[in-house]
Amino acid sequence: MQIFLNGLLQGILFGAIGVAFSLVYRTTKVFHLALGGIGALAPYLVLATIAIGLPAWVAVIFAVLAAACLGVLIDESIHWPFSRKRAPAEVHLIASLGVYLVIVQSIALIWGNETQVLRMGVDQTWTAFEVTLAQAQVLGPALTLAATVGLFVWLNGASRGLELRALADNPILVSLLGRNVRTLRRWIFGLSAALAAIAALAVAWDVGFDPHVGLKAVLLGMVAMIIGGTGSFIGPFVGGVLLGVLRAEVVWFGSARWEEAVTFTLLGLFLFFRPLGIFARRVRLEEGA
Amino acid sequence: MNYLYHLIIYFEIYAIVAMSLNLLIGYGGLLQVAHAAYYGIGAYAAALLWTKLGWGFFSGLAVGAFAAGVMSLLVSLPAWRFKGDYFVMISIAVQTLIYATLYNWIELTNGPFGISGIARPVIAGYSFVTTGSITVLYGALALGLGMIMALLKWSPFGRVLQAMRDDELAARSIGIPVNWLKLQAFALASAMVGIAGGLYASYVSYIDPTSFSLNESILMLSMVIIGGTGNVRGPLTGAAVLILLPEALRFVQLPDAVAANVRLLAYGLLLVIMMHLRPQGLAGTYRYQ
Repeated sequence: MQIFLNGLLQGILFGAIGVAFSLVYRTTKVFHLALGGIGALAPYLVLATIAIGLPAWVAVIFAVLAAACLGVLIDESIHWPFSRKRAPAEVHLIASLGVYLVIVQSIALIWGNETQVLRMGVDQTWTAFEVTLAQAQVLGPALTLAATVGLFVWLNGASRGLELRALADNPILVSLLGRNVRTLRRWIFGLSAALAAIAALAVAWDVGFDPHVGLKAVLLGMVAMIIGGTGSFIGPFVGGVLLGVLRAEVVWFGSARWEEAVTFTLLGLFLFFRPLGIFARRVRLEEGA
Repeated sequence: MNYLYHLIIYFEIYAIVAMSLNLLIGYGGLLQVAHAAYYGIGAYAAALLWTKLGWGFFSGLAVGAFAAGVMSLLVSLPAWRFKGDYFVMISIAVQTLIYATLYNWIELTNGPFGISGIARPVIAGYSFVTTGSITVLYGALALGLGMIMALLKWSPFGRVLQAMRDDELAARSIGIPVNWLKLQAFALASAMVGIAGGLYASYVSYIDPTSFSLNESILMLSMVIIGGTGNVRGPLTGAAVLILLPEALRFVQLPDAVAANVRLLAYGLLLVIMMHLRPQGLAGTYRYQ
């Protein structure tokens, strides 16, 4: 039970990253590796803001907003021009890889390569029904969950959210109907960066952070997206939760050394046998691809 | 002088790596990030044969190349079905799996501690101990492989490979066995990078799994993309940039602690700029379209 809950809490974070990744991938077909860089940056921004004497909650809000701005900036300067030129997926991927390297190495240059922590000392723990959870372990995922739920409500309620889902289904039709795709893309990149930053802060608060965790996180988000399926926005979240639980069980029953191998075997199996994910639904021919 | 030899040896090894990756990316249009894993397979197979069984230099290299070529089925079979982003995901999965195996199969690979005491090459009684003699030997090998690559470009095999890259459907329609071609291209490229891995192991005399991680694969990819793809000149330029960039940084007297970060930062910037202004790389001919 303890392991299951640990995995579940971890999985919520993976799920949020998966949602952030698929938000971009589904709508714009950009393989957003730079998301890892943005996530890695967020905790450092919090540290820097606290260092100049501002309260912690201001620092968190500032970091999330700054991450969102960075996300928009990346799209404006790099991916939007490529999309206008109808560049192939590979170009987006390589450019995103470049952006990731630039962000991460800049962080390392400014703040160093060492692992840092956001909190000090022993954490308060809660025990109930033979399950012990630390405060940081629960609060971070809870906030991330709230942010993800908020995003889903917005996606399904607001008209902007509706347009965004339309963009995921048929980008050309959306622009033909006179919607401003460029504005929509700003929303997409901003929101996904903000969500990734929130999840990254939750991880950083729990276990600390260094500049290089981002790539692994974004790859896990990608696996979560494939498991959950690219056909819906809720899929990646469920995929992430499953992944978190599975990884926790692997560590407990097997060995932490095989954690990555199991994760990526799962990715391979899903790509081969169920490429549309667990939430695959039959689509009409003209709807697909 | 020794230092110059050292640089040239690294250039020769990386030139082989870059040329083999170019066979996939530049000739075949198959973007992948599992190359360091095959570099590792070649290095480990050769190193184990040399240290444990006392095999000769060339037989060890050949078996290493063969092992890497056979293992390339792990990426080439999926290449039948996946393209673009999804194929990159598969190759990330393969890279992670092979890395995990090298890291965790302690009985065979000695896990994170690596293999030490690998001897310098000995051919027909003459042992290559000085860096100068190794420079000559590796130079001859790199030159030979480079000539093969140059010939390959204009050979029937190279021609059909490039036809497949430009339009896979059209290539199939005129009877080119695309799947068989992919198997061959991957086996060839992986065997070649396996040779480079063996050369690397023999030169530095110590290998551990961290030299064959996903980051290393990304570095190899950046090297080829920056240098250029589609001809022999391009990857050679890429290898030269990879070797000369740290030296240039040394020239401006950056402290060692930040030099590695600055180097990767420059790589990231170059990738982004290249994708915008010169997608075929510094000296390449092929660009994604």
